[in-house]
Amino acid sequence: MKINKLTLLALLSVFILNSCSDDTDDLIDQVPEGDYTDGFFVLNEGGIGTVTYISDDLSDVEQDIFASANPNAADLGAYTQSIFFDDNNRAYIISNGSNLITVVDRYTFELIDVIDEGLTVPKYGVVYKGKAYVTNNNTFDDYTYDNDNPPSSYDDFIAVIDLETLSVESTIETNSYTEQIEEEDGLIYVNGSSFGYGNTINVINPSSNAVVRTISTAFGVNSFDIEDGSIYTLSSNSYEVFNKDNGEQISNLEFSDLSGASNLVLEDDKAYFTVNRSVYVMEQNSTTEPEKPLLTYSSTSQYGAMYGFAAKDGRIYIADGGDFSSDSFVEIYSTNGSLLKNITVGLGPNGFYFN
Amino acid sequence: MEYLKNYIIISVMLLTLSVTGQQRVFTALDSVYLTDSKLKEFSTGRNLISIPDSLLRNNSALLTNTLNFNTPIYFKENGLGMVSSPSFRGTSASQTAVLWNGININSQFNGQLDFNTVNAGAYSEISVRGGGGSIVYGSGAIGGSVHLNTRLIYEDTTAHNLFLQYGSFNAKDARYNLNLATKEWSLNLALARTSSDNDYELPNGSKNLNGGFENTALNVGVGFKINTQNSLRFFSEIFDGERHFSVLRTSETRTKYQDVNSKNLLEWESHFGEFVSIARLAYLEENYKYFPNINSDSFSFGEAKTVVAKYDLSYSITDKLKLNTVLTNTNTNGKGSSLGENERNIFAAALLLKHRIDPKFNYELGFRKEATANYESPFLFSLAATKDLNSLFSLNFNASRNFRIPTYNDLYWPSAGNPDLLPEKSLQGEVGVAFTLNNFKAILSTYYNKITDMIRWLPANDGVWRPVNEDKVRIYGLESSLSWSKKFQNNHIISTNATYSYTVSENEETGYQLIYVPYHKATVNVNYDYSRFNANLQFLRVGEVFTRSDNNSRYNLEGYNVGNFSLGYRLGKSEKFELGGRVNNFFDAEYQSVENRWMPGRNYTMYLNFKL
Repeated sequence: MKINKLTLLALLSVFILNSCSDDTDDLIDQVPEGDYTDGFFVLNEGGIGTVTYISDDLSDVEQDIFASANPNAADLGAYTQSIFFDDNNRAYIISNGSNLITVVDRYTFELIDVIDEGLTVPKYGVVYKGKAYVTNNNTFDDYTYDNDNPPSSYDDFIAVIDLETLSVESTIETNSYTEQIEEEDGLIYVNGSSFGYGNTINVINPSSNAVVRTISTAFGVNSFDIEDGSIYTLSSNSYEVFNKDNGEQISNLEFSDLSGASNLVLEDDKAYFTVNRSVYVMEQNSTTEPEKPLLTYSSTSQYGAMYGFAAKDGRIYIADGGDFSSDSFVEIYSTNGSLLKNITVGLGPNGFYFN
Repeated sequence: MEYLKNYIIISVMLLTLSVTGQQRVFTALDSVYLTDSKLKEFSTGRNLISIPDSLLRNNSALLTNTLNFNTPIYFKENGLGMVSSPSFRGTSASQTAVLWNGININSQFNGQLDFNTVNAGAYSEISVRGGGGSIVYGSGAIGGSVHLNTRLIYEDTTAHNLFLQYGSFNAKDARYNLNLATKEWSLNLALARTSSDNDYELPNGSKNLNGGFENTALNVGVGFKINTQNSLRFFSEIFDGERHFSVLRTSETRTKYQDVNSKNLLEWESHFGEFVSIARLAYLEENYKYFPNINSDSFSFGEAKTVVAKYDLSYSITDKLKLNTVLTNTNTNGKGSSLGENERNIFAAALLLKHRIDPKFNYELGFRKEATANYESPFLFSLAATKDLNSLFSLNFNASRNFRIPTYNDLYWPSAGNPDLLPEKSLQGEVGVAFTLNNFKAILSTYYNKITDMIRWLPANDGVWRPVNEDKVRIYGLESSLSWSKKFQNNHIISTNATYSYTVSENEETGYQLIYVPYHKATVNVNYDYSRFNANLQFLRVGEVFTRSDNNSRYNLEGYNVGNFSLGYRLGKSEKFELGGRVNNFFDAEYQSVENRWMPGRNYTMYLNFKL
């Protein structure tokens, strides 16, 4: 509604205040592109997924903005997993339970279209040159639950989606599981570990849709990031760094005291990650583990602590899964570890996405 | 025997539902035999609802449908015919024990029975017993138990009954029952098949997608009286079902589920002196296949083979005092695509005592202890009494400790199963009063149930769900029932039954009501018979439920009222045919018992019942 009010004000000012042209220009410069321009989204997986909007100053919180912006549309689907953006102001909300991607305007959250064919348990996506690359778990038949006896084949795939037609045009198989996916310098990087099983990062050339390099990692990499020509991977007990261009391992930090590390984020030359209810930070290229956590938050969640995590622009964002059957919360901290705010969101919050 | 006569007359002749609050000691029946003899004998002070097959025909073959309209059990149904789990007296889905001819048939894998995988047409009688029953029925009898029984009659009989039903969504239901008996031999054969496209319209205008199901059940009971002291009985059932699971949108992966189960039970009953001994040997097979994508042949499966050996010896010390020991050994060999193969053996010893102090006062006591390597088994007890205050009122009381053992999934699920789980335990008490005047009976009970070590599956931050002994639950409530029947002049016969329950089931730590447990549920059944006409009216009221553990009312599912009406007409000189029709959900209520899983609106059924 902000946009309407502001537009109206701008229009009025053209008529009423046309003598003060300087003021009008200022006003027009401030007109946002949508209600949700100056803030970030919390994705709540559900049940049925919802999105909570929180303004950057943390004062404005709106629940289930997709339903508010699109009162007559169907919902976002079951178990929303993640969101990715394109260069065209669109947000793509992935529902793994409904094999569905809902495409919205990232600033107004108005529904543009849905992608509801060619996906099977979609997880994460990334955009490069007018195409989206979306990882799909497909069936779970390829889990042997034993890293010593990996499956003979994998059925996970990457769906390549033409963003003009919003349809799946081809698929890529990586001979691994497929989870988190990133793009860097024209290549696509896919985590080949899933739920603790698997030990590769696969590099895909999007011009040929072929795997051009397979990097061996520790088993069960749960998050990775690419910065300054290196790939940083985190698994429960180790933090590895690889040369992005040749896949060679640069360093391997095996934790001695820490176990159960996850949620790696690189920000401002620092590596942030979580262990249980604590956030740890160290230099990006550190070869020794941090002794103390930066902060520990309080959670009654049996297993859903740190269900979502982000570090960005001087803040740390924590999502608590709660009991997965009631609305839970997020907490925002400054990078020095002080709590800025605790905010109630939806069911099973699992990620933060910034406008 | 007066009571029995009434029972038979009411249940069979008047097509009514018998609601019996108080059970009296009576001697074993000569002409009618239910193998689950403990059900009548050791239910002192319990609410027992029995639904005979004649009444089962008023509903579809899905057991959920029958129990939903006739009992206080609340069902969480994922759309018509889909996964259906009970909440009996505010307990969880695995805290209702289901017994087939006295043998516990809850799944070895998840501890539950999906009430839409039971064809109600395969049984002579279905009974529901409220409150704890672990002493006799073992694991899971915390909220109550549901009993699927085959009746054997030892009288010269040749009776066929064919019941055919067809309705909206191409729903078909066929049931055939044969009773052949002499004074020595008895055969009861029931064959039932049902199927439905189940593509009803949803409130948003689209159709229920991928919701079709079909199943067939054959249930046979054979009894032979060798001599006055000895008799043999054999019961066997085969069930074969396939069900597609409905999806909310076309993009969702369509899945299906097949289950083939067989149950076999051999009994030898022997009387000598003041002793009655019953040796039982049962063999159960449970097989399921779950196809995560119906377009692919790959599936996950579970297969469990269970051998139950049971020895039941009762000794009548006097006419009024009876002792009963039951020794049970249950050996299960289960395997699954993701479980590996695991065997478990459970030995249980139970001791029961029943004492009738005078015709107006009797009580019973029970103890049970199990021995198994798989978990630490608690010592269980029960105590129950009933006292007639005068010819109108009687008082009932019972208290018991019950349990639910961890299942195969809980213990052995790869990288998630928790071998250190304890059984769930329940300590409960109940006080009730029954009022009887001629054909009017009213029962009012209040109960309190404290459950500890509830097993819950929760997701870990690696995305894997794991079971833990987490919750403590406090449940209290009220259960009431009414039944009344009257034969007026000119053969107008009316019989009615109603139940109402009020249930508070709260997480002890938070004080919040458990999700999917309504505070209120009421059912009403009215039967009217006149000349060749028969009319039946069913009504169900379910109050709103919470879907969020913090009881955030924004997400509540609204309460609903559902009514069914049927009208039948008997044809032929001896009224052997009955032709009728039924309107289901005649209010055309839009309702759901699980979020986003709508049930059908108004729909229709025609039926033909043929007796020979």
